[in-house]
Amino acid sequence: MNVDLSAAVAQTALLLLLAPLLSGLIKNWKAKLQNRRGARIWQPYFDLVKYLRKDMVISEHASWIFSVTPGVIFLTALSAGLMVPLVTANAPLGLFGGAIAVVGVLALGRFFMALGGLDPATTFGGMGSSREMTIAALAEPAMMLAIFTVATMAGSTNLGQIVLAGQEPGWKFLDAPHALAFAAMFIVLLAETGRIPVDNPATHLELTMIHEAMVLEYSGRNLAFAEWGAAIKQLVLMALLTNLFFPLGLAPVVTPAALGAGLAFFAAKLLILAGAVVLVEFTNAKLRLFRVPDLLSAAFILATLALVSTFLFR
Amino acid sequence: MNFTPAVLLAVSLCGYAIGAGGGLLFLRRERLANLFCFGASALSALSGLAAAMLFLVGGAGATAPQFELFPAPLPYLHFSVWLDPLSAFFLLLVSLLGVAIAIYSLGYARGYFGRKNVGVLGALFNALALATTLVVTADNVWLFLVAWEIMALAAYCLVSFEHEKAEARQAGVLYFIMAHIDAVCVILGFLMLFQAAGDYGFASLHDIGAKMPPGRRDAAFLLFLVGFGIKAGVVPLHIWLPAAHPVAPSNVSAFMSGVLIKTGIYGFARVAFDFLGAPPLWWGVTVLTVGTISAVLGVLYALMEHDLKRLLAYHSIENIGIILMGLGAALIFLHTGNPLLATLALVAGLYHTINHAVFKGLLFLGAGAVLHATHTRNMEEMGGLIRRMPQTALFFLIGAVAISALPPLNGFVSEWLTYQALLQGFGTTNSLMRLIFPLSGAMLALTSALAAACFVKAFGITFLAQPRSEHAAQAHEAAPTMLLGMGLLAGACVALGLFSVQFVRLLDPLTQQLTGQQLSAQLSAAHGLVLTSLTERSGTVSTLGLSLTGLCLVPIPFALAWVFARRTKVRVGPTWDCGQRSLTPRMEYTATGFSKPIRMVFKALFRPHREVQREYDFSPYFAKTLRFDSHVEEVFEQQIYRPARVMILRAARRVRALQAGSIHVYLLYIFGTLVLLLLLFAI
Amino acid sequence: MNPPATEVASRLITLLATLMLVFQLLLVVQQMLIANIRLFALQSLLLTGIATVVACAYGAWHVLIVAVLTLLGKVIFLPWLLQRLVRRIKIEQEIHPFVNMPASMLICGALTVLSYVVARPFTSLARLGSNTLPVALALLLTGLFLMSNRRKAITQVLALLTTENGMMLAAIALTTYGMPLVVEIGIFFDVVVAVMVLGILVFRIRESFDSMDVSKLNELKW
Repeated sequence: MNVDLSAAVAQTALLLLLAPLLSGLIKNWKAKLQNRRGARIWQPYFDLVKYLRKDMVISEHASWIFSVTPGVIFLTALSAGLMVPLVTANAPLGLFGGAIAVVGVLALGRFFMALGGLDPATTFGGMGSSREMTIAALAEPAMMLAIFTVATMAGSTNLGQIVLAGQEPGWKFLDAPHALAFAAMFIVLLAETGRIPVDNPATHLELTMIHEAMVLEYSGRNLAFAEWGAAIKQLVLMALLTNLFFPLGLAPVVTPAALGAGLAFFAAKLLILAGAVVLVEFTNAKLRLFRVPDLLSAAFILATLALVSTFLFR
Repeated sequence: MNFTPAVLLAVSLCGYAIGAGGGLLFLRRERLANLFCFGASALSALSGLAAAMLFLVGGAGATAPQFELFPAPLPYLHFSVWLDPLSAFFLLLVSLLGVAIAIYSLGYARGYFGRKNVGVLGALFNALALATTLVVTADNVWLFLVAWEIMALAAYCLVSFEHEKAEARQAGVLYFIMAHIDAVCVILGFLMLFQAAGDYGFASLHDIGAKMPPGRRDAAFLLFLVGFGIKAGVVPLHIWLPAAHPVAPSNVSAFMSGVLIKTGIYGFARVAFDFLGAPPLWWGVTVLTVGTISAVLGVLYALMEHDLKRLLAYHSIENIGIILMGLGAALIFLHTGNPLLATLALVAGLYHTINHAVFKGLLFLGAGAVLHATHTRNMEEMGGLIRRMPQTALFFLIGAVAISALPPLNGFVSEWLTYQALLQGFGTTNSLMRLIFPLSGAMLALTSALAAACFVKAFGITFLAQPRSEHAAQAHEAAPTMLLGMGLLAGACVALGLFSVQFVRLLDPLTQQLTGQQLSAQLSAAHGLVLTSLTERSGTVSTLGLSLTGLCLVPIPFALAWVFARRTKVRVGPTWDCGQRSLTPRMEYTATGFSKPIRMVFKALFRPHREVQREYDFSPYFAKTLRFDSHVEEVFEQQIYRPARVMILRAARRVRALQAGSIHVYLLYIFGTLVLLLLLFAI
Repeated sequence: MNPPATEVASRLITLLATLMLVFQLLLVVQQMLIANIRLFALQSLLLTGIATVVACAYGAWHVLIVAVLTLLGKVIFLPWLLQRLVRRIKIEQEIHPFVNMPASMLICGALTVLSYVVARPFTSLARLGSNTLPVALALLLTGLFLMSNRRKAITQVLALLTTENGMMLAAIALTTYGMPLVVEIGIFFDVVVAVMVLGILVFRIRESFDSMDVSKLNELKW
């Protein structure tokens, strides 16, 4: 294991460019299912450029925390992304941290986002921060248990090692612990990326919004970086799900052919996962805030059962 | 003169004693007393820090310095101290905090000029520091217990230092009672050890558990767990902690939360790993369970607080829980015969011990600066302080990020080590028992996420948005010495976070002593840049690497902004207020409101009560006044301590019948007892 | 990279059985009646999948009949019937269980662990996918728990159906690749008839009591 600079640069570019496309795709598919035409899938790129070109209005009550926050969200999401294998089995910066570090780095971004919500003295921001931190706190144990499951089966918390262990002949990743842990992680994914049963990404109604409430005061390039960061975080979490639980096709060696195949597999898996997310969003109604713990407790129990089944089925 | 650890330690002890004496000498001259006492403690702590560092850098081969302070006045009662690796580690912790807190106090104690006697404060502070240093360096049971009691007394006096407030007096009494229950347990435990060893020296108590009958050994373990658990503030023995820490002067709170409760950890580590010998399985399981419960309940109760210092005090309970998770896992691994894993868990626990000391000290000092500036501990009256106190805010933010276990600061490193130990523990046994490891790990994840929520609240409500009261709007930045004290600890948070591999090396002699293993070689890879969990395959992390990555990525947003946003302007405007005329501080989210979702989710535990009183003027649609009252229930106080208190009072009332008030009756009692004893002896 | 065919089949069965368990747990946590019915349909679809895999991999073609019957009966017919019933009697969509959600999740988790532990000695017998027996047991136990935890007759019907899914799973995957066909079909029609009877009963209860709360049935004592 070592740090590969060119791979790091390539992966950074991939994260930056792919993330808006993924959210555009999800929005588009959702619109199609709802019998709307929907925006084009590359609309998020135009949005980002538009935000970047706009003047900024900063609240008179805000401090430097408010201005630093979008940068922190953006950078933490990118750094976390560099530790997750996307196309190659070994992430470029896999040496600097595994699953626990990814969770930690993303939590740092969330910490600042919640502070940024409180900073401009608005009620919406406080509401969003309070809800975000609550839901994150409840999602975290389930996520950690699911990670524990795959990590104990691979004997490592480093994502590259987990992927390699999954690629061993025999398709071990198609067994009960993985399936249960995947179900748990999927629920966590919905909660962490603010998807429908938990949060509604398409609304600005104060009673329902969480993520949007926190970034309500942002404008101009601050908004661009906050949104871009959120999109990258979504990509990172989805990559974590696809590649940890279905490590098919990730390039074990760096050759053009393997990289091409890896990219194709990654795209296919992302499309399927995005389809699943869209389907869940389409068929479910948003839950009341105090019903979300029910859902997350289900994720927790699923993850616990995943762990139990690692040693009770031998 | 040759500066050996022994000399430096002696200098440090003498310095504290001189500082304590000086405080009493200059009772009437507060400026001089302030300078003299806290100057003396700062220098003494610095000397102690040097002693500990010198010894630990010396590595596993260094001989333990040992010397007598003065000749033994009575048989057994040796006033002698030593520095073995465990002592040296805790001396490092005590002294590091001592330096920062003493410097901070130079500025903080000025707030008491003309109000309270600063000489007394300084003398007591030095006495507390002296006693704490003696507790961790004593080489025999007697000196340990004497220092333990002095420490408890000095802390009692400091807790009730502002004794004109009823709150402080009550907290002092509660602390006093709990400290004595704890002393009783610890004394009984040591007596049991003495029975087996026939000697009071710590050296001869080593591995004495092997010579004790198992039942007696278990009893001793339980006594020590309760005794040291009270001092450390473990749930359900914690009730003194959230009462006593907030009412003490803030520099003392920092010392108590950072150092004093760690003497409980020291005592426990000393007894469990050094004296009691090979542990049975249930010891470790008990400690791990107790630690997990403490961690979760501590942070949950912290979230419900809007008193800044009480909030921090509850977080001490949480972190003690995390430390005990590491130590408990280590005990389990010792039982299952995995000394390497035990060492990893031990390193995790001890690393978290010093981390908690540093960031909790920092946070209490920051809370002290806020208290100093706004004259309130109630977060609902704060807000907007980041403009008035920028440096304090920055230091508090560093502490908040560290305690929330976020990378790249120190809290993350020790929790990462704990996760790794728990994760690898899963493979050590085959029974259903091993589920305890991942479940504790999940609870640790819950704890750190809730801690992050709590510190978003603590920092956000206190320092951000608009000031919620006149006091907060008039706040002023802390004095330079106070900032220096906080800055030192903030620097320590960063250093302990980034240079974890180098710090782990200092723990080598300690783990060699307690588990017979040295880990620093296994724990580092890539030229000391990366921390690993025993092998590089099973997991790596590098806080330094992560920070560098973040730094290298910084040009990207700047470049994007340069390309697209060069010509944009930045305007300062009002916050969106839904078309109201102006946004007042009363519209902001409050601390109570912030934690409401969590209160609702865990309402089975909190049993929140709320009461709303409305008064109407002429129509039910226009309320004239609205009073809202909400509080949560402290389960342990309601369910354990209140019934216990009622029972004790009832028993006391019954016993009072004996107390007739006549001297003759009392003489009769004495006479009767004497006859009875003689009779017993004769038979 | 490609494991032999029987092993793939065994894996697939394990996976599908596990997913059945996942849906069962989601059923416990889902509070909307219609969504509950859909989850049950999906679970039955998985059962159909298992039966198909068994049939194809081992050439036990009579199991295919079971698969078709399950598909027609439990994936299409019964959910349709129940949904129609729900719509017709216009009951409240939300289910109010006796025990709250997180607690019932914990109970179901414990029940699943229990079934894992109990089934452990027998797992070597189960040649098809090592975890089908514990999953079947878990479906049975959580189904019984659901029946006792829910108030309304129609939700109890659903719980009964999941219990039956568990039994079918055990029957298909554990024994000689399916019990004698007659027994299976017997069980199947039993259940269908039971559901229809219960459906009519639900309708009647609703008419005479203006509620579907089963606990109100004790008014019948007088």
